[in-house]
Amino acid sequence: MPASNATASLLNFIVDRAHMGIFVVNQKREILLWNQFMEIHSERKADTVIGQNLFEAFPELPKKWLDRKIENIFILKNFSFTSWEQRPYLFKFAHNRPVTGGVDCMRQDCTLMPIKDSCGEVQYVCFTLFDVTDTSIYQSKLEETTEKLRELSNRDGLTQLFNRRYVEEALGKEFNRARRYHSKLSVILTDIDFFKKVNDVHGHLAGDEVLREISRRLASGLRGTDTLGRYGGEEFLVVLPETDTQGAYVLAERLRKTVQAKPIEIEGASLIINISLGITELRESTAAYAQLIAEADLALYQSKENGRNCVTLFQPGF
Amino acid sequence: MAVSVTVVDDSKISRKMVIRALPPQWNIELTQAENGEEALAAYRDGKAEVMFLDLTMPVMDGYQVLEQLQKEQLNTFVVVVSADIQPEAQARVKKLGAMAFIKKPVKTLDIQNVLHEYGIV
Amino acid sequence: MYCTNTVSFKPASKTTSMSIQPYTEDQNDALQEVVNIAMGQAGDSLARILGHFVGLSVPRIRLVTVEDVIKTVTDMVDENAEISAVRQAFSNALRGEAIVAFAQAGADDLADLMGYDTDLDQSAEQELLLEVSNLLVGAVINGISDTLKTDLSFSAPSLMAQRTPLDQVLVPEQLSWSHALLMEVNFTVEDRDFHCHLLMFMTEGAIDTLRDILDEFMDSI
Repeated sequence: MPASNATASLLNFIVDRAHMGIFVVNQKREILLWNQFMEIHSERKADTVIGQNLFEAFPELPKKWLDRKIENIFILKNFSFTSWEQRPYLFKFAHNRPVTGGVDCMRQDCTLMPIKDSCGEVQYVCFTLFDVTDTSIYQSKLEETTEKLRELSNRDGLTQLFNRRYVEEALGKEFNRARRYHSKLSVILTDIDFFKKVNDVHGHLAGDEVLREISRRLASGLRGTDTLGRYGGEEFLVVLPETDTQGAYVLAERLRKTVQAKPIEIEGASLIINISLGITELRESTAAYAQLIAEADLALYQSKENGRNCVTLFQPGF
Repeated sequence: MAVSVTVVDDSKISRKMVIRALPPQWNIELTQAENGEEALAAYRDGKAEVMFLDLTMPVMDGYQVLEQLQKEQLNTFVVVVSADIQPEAQARVKKLGAMAFIKKPVKTLDIQNVLHEYGIV
Repeated sequence: MYCTNTVSFKPASKTTSMSIQPYTEDQNDALQEVVNIAMGQAGDSLARILGHFVGLSVPRIRLVTVEDVIKTVTDMVDENAEISAVRQAFSNALRGEAIVAFAQAGADDLADLMGYDTDLDQSAEQELLLEVSNLLVGAVINGISDTLKTDLSFSAPSLMAQRTPLDQVLVPEQLSWSHALLMEVNFTVEDRDFHCHLLMFMTEGAIDTLRDILDEFMDSI
């Protein structure tokens, strides 16, 4: 589009004053254009950088990477981009939120545009550089908040273990994964023996303390890949990826012993608390993750029937 | 005397693009083929002194045509016309006996250059 | 010339033939050729930055329903594999979205091929995936717009998923279209783990626009 003189000077003005960095380099990486935004933030006047090699004028630039990126535009004749999410900035510029920002310098998104001659060969690369500091601050705040909310919504308030919804979700995911990779998966459901008696005799506050202490003891007995959640009042669910019933049995026995190893001291009383446990594992015929919970529950019931304080493996026919 | 030329490509539009790019003053007898088998049949009928050959085709692809021509020591001037324009693809077909390689989309100038280079037109 | 018969979208074809229901045979032929050319240019661009010969599958063009899009994609990408995926929008004469899916096994290999340390941190790996995606999508978009003499532009790439099972990357419930034209191709590097899959989706409006553009293209030849 041929520009009249009036349009050309208008375009010059706009390029110079636009609220984004605009600069152009040729194939030798010499700077040909440097707008006002670049002048202000780099604290380098256009006439001091024009004609200079970009990497000599700004030795702090990531040369190896950027040089290759520019070269690719000459070869491939293609637009290219950089995003603050992967590379926070190209030029280390101060940002205009020195007080409220919480980031050290201006976050930048960049577009590299090929400028071709009439034969279609790339002559220049035009950089446009956007200040996205605000966006990045909002986003990291949002992520922080989201993370906190997610954490809160996944936790059981009393025991700080995962809640029922979360642990069921985790089981669902592990169920799908195990199906996909044909890997093992076991589940332990456990229940505190005679918990009602603790509440009745020592009061609800003592009951709460017992729940908290047992939660700590259960958590201490698990591996990093296991997921433990409070499933109901005094019921806990453990999801054990890559584990068969043999492995789960060893772990369940360890949990049972850890819980009863020391008395729990509450308001002068010293209580020995036991748990009963039920185990099941994923089989070819397992229809859904909920079936695992149901089977573990049946096995747990069997443990209660067998006199409590013991571990039972689910068997078809229970 | 007219030169026999066969344009081989499974795509109709692609054959049309090649044919359109041939020099207008070139005196030819034109045959079209949709796959390698048809191309070899055209050759055996004496209809392919020059062959413009696509590489990706059903039934019998361009590589197979080149191999067959080489195996039977058949003598035709093959210009490969391909969308796979990597230098290594070009080298591979030349090793198989293709005389020239032209990138898709075909440009009149590219065809002219090849034909001039070998003194065909 | 194009005649204005109405075109109905049929359900996904029962065979694996390359028939594209919304278009006539000639339009299909032209589209396939344009896509072959564009994908070939993408392969060439990739070969140039990797310094290796890149194998291309024959580009496949099909009308897909949202229900079978995953099934469609898993034909070329292993359903069980974890992938990283990058998306880019294209707009102007035709609107749509391009997705480049990278098999995870090949991501480390990519770093090696491009001459980076193979022990990349997460954002360096992301940057690499964005770079390669942009290169492929840019080349395809430029190839299509050059061949069809039409203006197309494309957006900056953004990461959709990193190390995620395929079925969680494209979730049918989250897609707001019912039919899309899918153009896809697979890129591999001989004797290396690297492979990626390029998917270009155009939804209903663009399918109609493309029909007119193809007619103009055919008339011009």
